[in-house]
Amino acid sequence: MSSSQPIIQLQDIEKTFLLGDLHIEVLKGVSIDIGRGEFVALRGASGSGKSTLMHILGLLDRPSGGRYLLQGKNIADLPDDRLSALRNQLFGFIFQTFYLIPYITALENVMLPGLYGATPARQLKRRAEELLSQVGLADRLHFRPGQLSGGQQQRVAMARALLNDPQVLLADEPTGQLDSATSAEIMALLKSIHGQGRTVILVTHDAATAEFAEREVLLHDGLVQNR
Amino acid sequence: MMAWSRIAEIWLIAWRCGGMARRALWAAKTRSLFVVAGVALGIASLTIIVAAVDGAERKANEMVALFGPDAALVLGGNIESRAVGQRTLTLSYDDAAALRRSLPGAYLVVPMRAQSNVQVRYAGHVTQVPLVVGTTAGYARAWDWPLSEGRDLTEEDLTHSARVGLIGDTIAQELFGKQSPIGRTVLMDRFPVQIVGRLSYRGVTGGGGAVDDRIIMPITTLTKRFHLDRKYFRALRVKFHDPEYMSAHVENLRSLLRHLHNLRPEEEDDFSILTADEILKFLSTFKGGLILFLGVTALVAMVVGGFVLANLFYLGVDERRSEIGLKMALGAPRWAILVQILLEAVGLTLIGATFGMFLGMAMGQLLARLGVLEILFSWKVFGFALFASLAIGLVFGLKPARRAASMTPIEALKGC
Ligand SMILES: Nc1ncnc2c1ncn2[C@@H]1O[C@H](COP(=O)(O)OP(=O)(O)O)[C@@H](O)[C@H]1O
Ligand SMILES: [Mg+2]
Repeated sequence: MSSSQPIIQLQDIEKTFLLGDLHIEVLKGVSIDIGRGEFVALRGASGSGKSTLMHILGLLDRPSGGRYLLQGKNIADLPDDRLSALRNQLFGFIFQTFYLIPYITALENVMLPGLYGATPARQLKRRAEELLSQVGLADRLHFRPGQLSGGQQQRVAMARALLNDPQVLLADEPTGQLDSATSAEIMALLKSIHGQGRTVILVTHDAATAEFAEREVLLHDGLVQNR
Repeated sequence: MMAWSRIAEIWLIAWRCGGMARRALWAAKTRSLFVVAGVALGIASLTIIVAAVDGAERKANEMVALFGPDAALVLGGNIESRAVGQRTLTLSYDDAAALRRSLPGAYLVVPMRAQSNVQVRYAGHVTQVPLVVGTTAGYARAWDWPLSEGRDLTEEDLTHSARVGLIGDTIAQELFGKQSPIGRTVLMDRFPVQIVGRLSYRGVTGGGGAVDDRIIMPITTLTKRFHLDRKYFRALRVKFHDPEYMSAHVENLRSLLRHLHNLRPEEEDDFSILTADEILKFLSTFKGGLILFLGVTALVAMVVGGFVLANLFYLGVDERRSEIGLKMALGAPRWAILVQILLEAVGLTLIGATFGMFLGMAMGQLLARLGVLEILFSWKVFGFALFASLAIGLVFGLKPARRAASMTPIEALKGC
């Protein structure tokens, strides 16, 4: 495995959903290479299949056709629990709707990905505290999500995504529910995460937001446009 | 070896799933409370059953001890066939005399008659005695029932129809308090009887009532005073040497009585012979009925509790789809999701079991106080409750848990 090899290679990825008798072809043969340490924006209109593609990229869903090579290995050969472990170690996720567990504290939410590994709890806690102060929430460790603003919740989610020190960060419309000032803060954080040497894949419908990335991949009607 | 560190990791993750389960249950207090209540009711009935069955068992053993392993009780009439118009007064004094003379292995043959609900007075105290037993000499010996004071009834008392009696401990307390009853004369339905012995306290309750509230008199006196049939009596107690040959003894007794009653081979016995074995058999069918009745009740209660659990957990899994999806996205393996939901189920059923046991013990005590049931609590109750609640949790938690674990991360995440 040379360092110049892309961390992610998609070859003719297809995704078809079955709704009763209806075949909904969402991805119709998407090919993208993403190099280590790249900051890529996946842009497209609403309904163009961006989230579907991101789920496949993040091993949350399997493609209906085509090949997905992760670090050169075809993920089609891997069982579900192996994919879970890869998600746990390799990927960090940020969603439009934060997905924080409401009945536990910010700190506990951030520790969550670590609970499915062997790292001792004390170490997890220290790392979570560190990450929360990096995103500016050192004084909110023991707040519940409901006691935090939207921007603060998204920052908790970002700290959570970084807990296991992932190589790839996947962000699906991370600013979709935030006002513009808060969005700018979140984008700045994303940039700094990229600055730490991580691969960042940003999904957005907004051209201005996509500007933050080094490269833009435009998705239209289930296909990649203008490479 | 990779295996050990992997096993340690799985334990650690399972332990952490337990922690998450605890938080999730606490977050859904109302739902948890319903499940706990449902399971508690089931376990409470189970607790009562186990205690009641053990109570019945203890009772059986007490009754056998009371009856004596070396004794047989002969009753007039055939209690198995109970033919209409059948005579029950079939045992005569001549029978008793013949048995005493010729029954091999028997060392005691005691005819018994009884009169129930007799009023007894002494110096202004009045009490109703549920049972006045008529007997031949040597009552205390025949029943292995030591006297705490005084003397047993003698042949002399019998031949003279003496107005003497043995007094049960409870009646003695009622009429004489702390004083000794020996030598005092009580009035039984207006005729005087002198108390010559006091039976020691037994405390066991027999089928009809306590055994300590009775008076024992010579059967001859009882027959005269209460104008009972002079020739026949209802029951006969026989004690044998060598109780290990009980079945042979009983056969001898039966043949001799059939001979004395001139029964032809095709005729049924006109008497019944009861032994400790017989009593045990009867009690075990009684116990079987008890287990069946209470068992069905408990089963229903526990299945209801289990369904409450299963349904609420289905709802819970639905409500928490996005939480489950998130955990999967963050790398939870399917088994960890399964383990968490199962631990939630088992955790609740164990809490339910704890409450249920206390509830069951309280209700059992109440039923015992009201005299409805005999109960005996033991560690067995604890074991059964633990086992049953684990089983309910696992059986009824498994389906919702598998449903949660079988979702794909995306199905689950989008579910909200
Ligand atoms: N599970 C599904 N079943 C059926 N259709 C789906 C499913 N998931 C997504 N789709 C459809 O796929 C298309 C693309 O969805 P999505 O990837 O979420 O778009 P985007 O994120 O670009 O807005 C939409 O038309 C959507 O209705
Ligand atoms: Mg989308």
